[in-house]
Amino acid sequence: MLMKKSLLPWKIFAYSIMILFTILAIAPLLWLLVSSFKPHVEIVRNPLSIPQSWYVENFSRAWTQGSLGIYFFNSILYSAIATSITTLFALGAGYTFAKFNYRISKFFYALYTLGLLITVHSVIVPLFILETNVGIDNSRLGVIIPYIAFGLPFAVYLATGFLKGIPDSLEEAALIDGATYLQIFRHIIIPVATPIIATMFIYTFLSNWNEFVLVLTLTSKSAIRSLPVGINSFAGGMSRDYGLQFAALVIGTIPMIVFYLIFHEYLEKGFAAGVSKE
Amino acid sequence: MSNRTQKRYSYWMLTAPSIVVFVLVIMFPVMYSVSLSFSEWSGYGTPKFVGLKNYIDILSDPIFLHGLRNNLLIVIISVFGQIPLGFIFAYILYRRMVKGGRFFQTMIFLPITISSVVVALLWNQIFSASGLFTAFIRLITKNPRYVIGMFEQKNMAIIPILFVILWMHTGTYMVIYLANLQKISPSIIEAAQIDGASEGQTLRCIILPGMLAVISTTAIFAISGSLKAFDLIYAMTGGGPAHFSEVIAIYMYVNTFKYYKYGFGSAVSIIIILLSVGLILILLFFTKRLERRNE
Repeated sequence: MLMKKSLLPWKIFAYSIMILFTILAIAPLLWLLVSSFKPHVEIVRNPLSIPQSWYVENFSRAWTQGSLGIYFFNSILYSAIATSITTLFALGAGYTFAKFNYRISKFFYALYTLGLLITVHSVIVPLFILETNVGIDNSRLGVIIPYIAFGLPFAVYLATGFLKGIPDSLEEAALIDGATYLQIFRHIIIPVATPIIATMFIYTFLSNWNEFVLVLTLTSKSAIRSLPVGINSFAGGMSRDYGLQFAALVIGTIPMIVFYLIFHEYLEKGFAAGVSKE
Repeated sequence: MSNRTQKRYSYWMLTAPSIVVFVLVIMFPVMYSVSLSFSEWSGYGTPKFVGLKNYIDILSDPIFLHGLRNNLLIVIISVFGQIPLGFIFAYILYRRMVKGGRFFQTMIFLPITISSVVVALLWNQIFSASGLFTAFIRLITKNPRYVIGMFEQKNMAIIPILFVILWMHTGTYMVIYLANLQKISPSIIEAAQIDGASEGQTLRCIILPGMLAVISTTAIFAISGSLKAFDLIYAMTGGGPAHFSEVIAIYMYVNTFKYYKYGFGSAVSIIIILLSVGLILILLFFTKRLERRNE
């Protein structure tokens, strides 16, 4: 299609707003990265300067003083376990909601939809009391179980929507051959659903990795806390050493940026699928 | 095992695990919250039934009302800031008005992957006396003593936070709108433009009506997300100084976990749910009316 003249003002507007917002998005992150290689004094004296020498001690000191290693480990543990279970559970539920014409599925599906609106805050008090009574407060299990639950509504929504779209004929052929529904789930549904599994997994992993309130309230032992909570304690009591703080922030940011750059297509698909026209 | 029992057995094997976890962790506690909200309880002994006292106390507390005002400002910046901006970005990318759209898209979406806590601490540094923002303003105003004063003013303290929220979430909306715009066939637009429709007319008469349902759904997410806002503000200011940047979720957190007012805290969280539902109903009402006008 030929470019029309009337498009020119649109183009100028488009470029200026895109460039402006991109700078706005990137500049703080670049400044963070550069500053993390400067000692405290240099940051305070001239916030805009390029580091005189690359002061990597910030990173090793932040890592050891902030015990970031253990927080890192916990974050990986929580995100990996909870995300895997959420994905598997949601896929099972999504399969039955999409393909078994049971009336009770409607009710369950409505419950999950309601779950999308419920905030962590509205359950945190009862959850805290419940966990204390059951005896899993202040434990890793006490973090993982709520993570699984809060990942479910959106994952079920994604799985159901995707599986509704696959043809019934796949299943029917297997049923005639005498396969059970559980076998169909394992050998047909899971392979077919790989794209949505990837989206569900990556989206859920990201939100678990960044989760803050649940760990903050349900745990008090620092040995079982996760990276966001660990990094937050840097700002409070830890130190007024800005270099250390910046290094800690970079350590908290880099894994997710790398993760994002590798998987951004799936992630964007996940966000997009969440809100589409039915 | 007959085929029907086998089917029923498989159904429950696949559905039950998620339902059990979901009901235990989310549904049951929500009900429990509702009943706690009518009582006074500090975590020990039995809760004392006090009727609507918690709700009356909350609604007449000026700190809560200031927090509510801040929450409503967050709703406004989300619905009238992030959504239009996100839509404009998506539209620019969809119509290929810029070269290297993929690059812009990736960069604008980047902030959403970073944890709120990191974003909060980063922006605190940016606004601090030795921060990027301060240094930048000092450079352009040539005033070497400039420091940001908004955080110390009761009515302004929330403004820098609103900006950070905009910075963080606009990319999400862009991606959602872009994916949905791509479902619109380009031939419809070409046909309209061959018939002489300008870019503005195409947008107003073809694209926007088609996107209304999606925009309305994102607005629902924006509203419920805005009322939930906690992590970012908690890590940035903790609601301070002197509750200037308080929001309802922080008010709830402090009353519950600092003052051990479990019943009171539950009542605040029920108010958050009721507010979301109320605002969403208002939104749906207006969407319906718009849809009818378009028909």
